[in-house]
Amino acid sequence: MQRLIWLAVAAGMALSLQSAHARAGINVITSTEDLASLVREIGGDKVSVEALAKGYQDPHFVEAKPSFVIKLHNADLLVVIGRELEVGWLPPLITQSRNTKIQPGSQAYLDASLTARILDMPTGQITRAMGDVHPLGNPHYWLEPGNGRRIAKAIQDKLTSLSAGDAAYFAQRFTDFDRRLAEGEKRWQATMAPYKGLKIVTYHRSWSNFADVFGLDVVGYVEPKPGIPPSPAHQLALTQEMKRQAIKIILVEPYFDLQTPNKIARDTGARVLVMPPSVGGVKEVQNYLQLFDYDVSLLVSAIKDTGAGR
Amino acid sequence: MGELTVWQIAEFLAAPFAASLILTGIHTYLGVHVVERGVIFVDLSLAQIAALGATIAILMPFSDGDPHSRSVYWVSLAFTFIGAAIFSFVRTKHARIPQEAIIGITYAVASAAAILAMSKSTSQAEHLKDMLVGNIIAVSWPDVFKTAGLYGAVGLFHYVYRKPFLAISMNHEHAEATGLNVRLWDFLFYASFGFVVTSSVSIAGVLLVFCYLIVPSVAAMLYAEGIGRRLAIGWTMGTVVSALGVCLSLVLDLPTGATIVCTFGLVLVLMAAARPLIKPRLNR
Repeated sequence: MQRLIWLAVAAGMALSLQSAHARAGINVITSTEDLASLVREIGGDKVSVEALAKGYQDPHFVEAKPSFVIKLHNADLLVVIGRELEVGWLPPLITQSRNTKIQPGSQAYLDASLTARILDMPTGQITRAMGDVHPLGNPHYWLEPGNGRRIAKAIQDKLTSLSAGDAAYFAQRFTDFDRRLAEGEKRWQATMAPYKGLKIVTYHRSWSNFADVFGLDVVGYVEPKPGIPPSPAHQLALTQEMKRQAIKIILVEPYFDLQTPNKIARDTGARVLVMPPSVGGVKEVQNYLQLFDYDVSLLVSAIKDTGAGR
Repeated sequence: MGELTVWQIAEFLAAPFAASLILTGIHTYLGVHVVERGVIFVDLSLAQIAALGATIAILMPFSDGDPHSRSVYWVSLAFTFIGAAIFSFVRTKHARIPQEAIIGITYAVASAAAILAMSKSTSQAEHLKDMLVGNIIAVSWPDVFKTAGLYGAVGLFHYVYRKPFLAISMNHEHAEATGLNVRLWDFLFYASFGFVVTSSVSIAGVLLVFCYLIVPSVAAMLYAEGIGRRLAIGWTMGTVVSALGVCLSLVLDLPTGATIVCTFGLVLVLMAAARPLIKPRLNR
């Protein structure tokens, strides 16, 4: 009986995988939906792409499912954010996939961070006094349009090396994406221009690149380490600082608990703004350009509402 | 890139399935002891102590912050043995205080201490918990063989000394009256138990290990009295549920560990429901 169930299951999976595979092209798996969107921009119909982590999930913690291993096994290319963002869940799955092409360092493994502009790089010896520091720099670098361009370029190079015959196609798609991204950048910068230097507080150190590009000044963090409640001293200092500087906005990713930010918001009269940091974080955001359209307009309307810009 | 054949898919699941069989083997046996002793949550408590040890070790300069380094493993094992010493000592000294209370207190304090330790870390705190808790779908063959060897040794040790272990688990006072060094045997029990639980948690996660420990032996208690029979029922149930859970997680594409845990719950309910129909016939 047991063996029969096994066979039935295995046969069913094999069939579904075969049909999925028939779509063909270069089969790309990415760790996050932001990367999947960028691969789609460059690869067009020459690739089929799927993200393991959904945009509404915290990319630090993803519950592995059996299909992940099988998808990785079938992948012709794996694109990851790197900088230890996925270190808690992805490495054992890559090993388990037994796909030699996509092992770290191999030809079909692309760490998108290698050509990106990385912030919060610790310089010199890391000490405890510095708080929560990613030794390899801030892994939330995709929240900067310029890095979207750099990642797209790296994807173009990688796809070209995997399928040289389509080089012109990928190049043309990159040029097109580059143009739309540049238009977007102009639009977003223009919308944000009146609020240059606006002081905000964020939940975790996830918005460094975003704040840097759009001229926001992050003066503090609610929970420097997610999952570890801030000490009363930290909370008190943050509340006082926010009152002193009249800070009206607390940015939080959708997957974090709102208890502490809400408490601080009550104490300071600030507003908690839940803002998606990834494609797929809310249903209106289906690609990389929409992510910035959505976040910028969400932020600006919150600034207007709270009068933070004045 | 060729398509996956039936056998390739079976191959992917072979390692997690083999691991779940090993877990069934040792944990069903240990579970009989644990349920008899009435120390149901001792594994969660010991696992938490081990995690505290690992967390502290990762923060020390000698481990280079690598959660998979040897020094982390040894420190975490040392903490487990300290926990074992606490549990074996407390039981004989303070009979008035239920042992389960001590276990609960230990769990809470160890969890909180781990949070304090993590709040002092410079980096990676957010991944730490993940890296200490395994995921059965990601288990590799070398892990399976290593675990099989270790658990085989522990199993052999328990088989050789089954008399004192069983005597204490079944009737503590009587065992003490016969002049057995209960504290020593208790320490050996909790130490070997903690050793197994720590390794299991690192490959399968806390929830799954707890289920493998408690559910098969409870299910077996519904149907049988003797140790031999209980083990037979427990092992059968564990094997069937593992196979079923792994299959369900594949077909429905759900996280494997949690699927097996829920399958355990479901099968236990079914077994309890079927008991009035089957039990009278067994006893006749």
